[in-house]
Amino acid sequence: MKKVYLHPLPIRIWHWINALGFIILIITGAQIRFGDAMGLMSFETAVDIHSWLGFILLANYFIWLLYYLFTGKIFRLYIPPFWKPIEYIKSSIRQAKYYGYGIMVGDKNPHHPTPDSKFNPMQQISYLMIMALLIPIQIITGLILWDPQLFSSLAKLFGGIQIVSLIHTGLWIFFSAFIIVHFYLATLGHTPMAHIKAMFTGYEEEHDEH
Amino acid sequence: MRAIAIVGLVIVCFLFSYLVPLNQAVSEDTKACLRCHGIGTLKKPLDTGESISLFIDGKRFEKSAHGALDCSSCHPGINLKNHPKPKKVTSKKDYIKEFSPNCLNCHPKNALMKPAVHGEIVKKGEIYCSQCHGSHYISSMKEWKNKVSFTEYCMSCHKFDISKTLPSKEKISLKVNEQEIKKSVHGKFQCLVCHDDFSKVKHPIYNFKDKKQYRTEMTKICTKCHTDKELQKNPAHYALSKTASCIECHGYHGVKPAKVVKAMPENQYCLSCHSRAISKKMKNGETLSVQVKESDILSSAHKKLKCTECHKEFSTTQHPIRVFESIADYRAKAKDICNNCHQDAVKKYDKSIHAEALKKGNQQSPECLKCHDYHKVAFITKDKRASSDLCIKCHADSGKAFKDSVHQQAIEQGKQNAPNCASCHNSHDVLPTNIAKLGDSCAKCHKDVKTSHNKWLWNPPVRLTSFVDAHFNSASCASCHTKVEKAILLTLVDRAKGKPIKEEEVAKALNVDTKAIKGKIDQNGDGKVQEQELWQFMSSMKSKTNANLAGRIDVLNPNDAHKIEPKNKSIKDCAYCHNPNASFKAKLEVNKEGDKPIKFEVDSKALNAAYAIPNIKDFYVLGLTKIKILDVLFFLALLGGIAVPIGHITLRILTAPIRRKRREGK
Repeated sequence: MKKVYLHPLPIRIWHWINALGFIILIITGAQIRFGDAMGLMSFETAVDIHSWLGFILLANYFIWLLYYLFTGKIFRLYIPPFWKPIEYIKSSIRQAKYYGYGIMVGDKNPHHPTPDSKFNPMQQISYLMIMALLIPIQIITGLILWDPQLFSSLAKLFGGIQIVSLIHTGLWIFFSAFIIVHFYLATLGHTPMAHIKAMFTGYEEEHDEH
Repeated sequence: MRAIAIVGLVIVCFLFSYLVPLNQAVSEDTKACLRCHGIGTLKKPLDTGESISLFIDGKRFEKSAHGALDCSSCHPGINLKNHPKPKKVTSKKDYIKEFSPNCLNCHPKNALMKPAVHGEIVKKGEIYCSQCHGSHYISSMKEWKNKVSFTEYCMSCHKFDISKTLPSKEKISLKVNEQEIKKSVHGKFQCLVCHDDFSKVKHPIYNFKDKKQYRTEMTKICTKCHTDKELQKNPAHYALSKTASCIECHGYHGVKPAKVVKAMPENQYCLSCHSRAISKKMKNGETLSVQVKESDILSSAHKKLKCTECHKEFSTTQHPIRVFESIADYRAKAKDICNNCHQDAVKKYDKSIHAEALKKGNQQSPECLKCHDYHKVAFITKDKRASSDLCIKCHADSGKAFKDSVHQQAIEQGKQNAPNCASCHNSHDVLPTNIAKLGDSCAKCHKDVKTSHNKWLWNPPVRLTSFVDAHFNSASCASCHTKVEKAILLTLVDRAKGKPIKEEEVAKALNVDTKAIKGKIDQNGDGKVQEQELWQFMSSMKSKTNANLAGRIDVLNPNDAHKIEPKNKSIKDCAYCHNPNASFKAKLEVNKEGDKPIKFEVDSKALNAAYAIPNIKDFYVLGLTKIKILDVLFFLALLGGIAVPIGHITLRILTAPIRRKRREGK
């Protein structure tokens, strides 16, 4: 068993703040939306928490962005090798096959994470989409909803506050589902806690059996 | 002493009576009476200062129609032996009133009532027999009629204070002052010159409805001599003669030459005619009073102005004849006069809903005169209630609603900065409420309104006034500052131009008449626009225009916006609106040029439908207008998110033996 240092400290900090923030944002978002059915807190409290956390996660996003930009790892880790598309698609299919079939029959995970390639091809495309597109969009739409007057010109660019809200709600739905699947996938290490532990310690244990 | 005097008088009478020459025709009874009453100086002083002559000229009496009658025929029960003691008489008129019924002994009332005019006089009892016919020297009517002049004949009754009450309950005096006629330009005329339908044997009875008709009809008499041709020499006078009665200026019988001295002060010159009840006829037959009360001008803000400063085309030498379609036309044009000095106010007024409504034929809508009056132009009052009362005259409901407001309380407390109608709605540029930006009106007085709201209305972590603006832009002040029912108002707008789409444009886009718009929107005619109807309408509009719906929260009944509550009673709970349970009604507004919008009740579920996304692009209230289908998607996504691990774990559990075998096989 060898240990690989996958998650540098800033990324771990970012991740856990993000994780907690996401969960609370999803819940307060639900409270704002389902004021009639949910009674966790008042509308005002839900909005206050949601707004504070929104800004915290906005700042947090920059921890991730700046860290990976300064270390230059952002491209290596997140950009799929579009110059080798066939190979990339093949490896993606291989990875999907692993999760859908191989993992059941005891195949080895085709992806072996290293500090320079910590994501398997499916993770890579997913996180690229999430980090480069969905989170920024959620932040921007969130900002518009936070102060529709201040960001009225941005709202216009989106096609109106109604569309902004549609996007923000749509992504809230997506992230709600994503976070459940994400948590489950995190338990698919060589032990259920392996990946989660790694997210605390930074070191992923590469198990021979896996 | 009194008894001695009376006895003395009787003795003297007897002694003198034998000296009175009397015809044998006079009865012994009469002779006996005349022994005393034949004395020329015999009279009775009254308490009123009047005196009644008790002298009877025997000779004249003898020649009269009643010469052959005994005194007792008319004065029953009185003879020498039975002479009443000195009678208490309060006045001459009472005396006449008391004795006139004696005539009826021989002249039965029925007979007197037969000639209609005579009957009328007898019935009314304004004058008594003896006043016209005399008492002791009554000549035969036939003889008298032949003998007297026409004027004397008429005056025999009309010199008295007789009157006629018209069906309108107005009373006209029929008394004619002969002296007045004699002094008039018609001084030498007999009555019949003018009243040629009357004669000594003919006395028609006119049945005028009211004084106005009486004046108009009487005026026709003048035109017999003063023909149109003659009157046309002075166009203004001619025009006047067509609407006003001659007698208004020239009087009835004391006809004056109404020549006005041009050198007199201008206002006086004009008022020579215009102070009288003269009027002007409009083309449509309406009549407008052109009477000007001098007292009105003198108490007005224009008291120092000359008439011609407003009525510029008029002067002591010029009096153009103006023609107006109707009073409304006249009133609308009167604005031009005000515009000579008050250009700003008129310019503002021209933009107002009042000007627009007037243009469209709403006669109730005010122009300058309705609020400021004609000549009684009031000073700008500092009495806020008085100036609001002017608006309330027409807008009674608004006045009633305002009564309950904190603003009315402020007026009643005499606060200098308390608002009245004009404070929010303006006085001249009163705009339809949907485009009047009434929120700005509130901010005129509540200057720190943004910062004061920002104390609690902000979204952490930064306290920005733009967050207040976001709310001000989408909810009226009254939404939170009244306790009345609220609604979401959806205004049809051109999203590209950022302007409301007006009724005419809707009609054009739908290719129908403006009146048919309602049927095109509320297709099933149930008075409510259902979701499907709304989207169908929007779809038709969008095929021709950049139509979209702009939304705002406001009071359901616009009039309720007047019921502003005190600050401590206003709504501060965000969840009042931001709540799926907030049951606001929805209304669709289609704007009209310069007028109130047409409103349709809309099924508020439309705001939560997916179709709201493309059709209500710029209005979204957290919680309230959420798109419900997204809630379903959320729960499906949650279920999906949970189903993936469960399914995967299940498969992993099921396939665990395979993995075990494989490991063991290794």
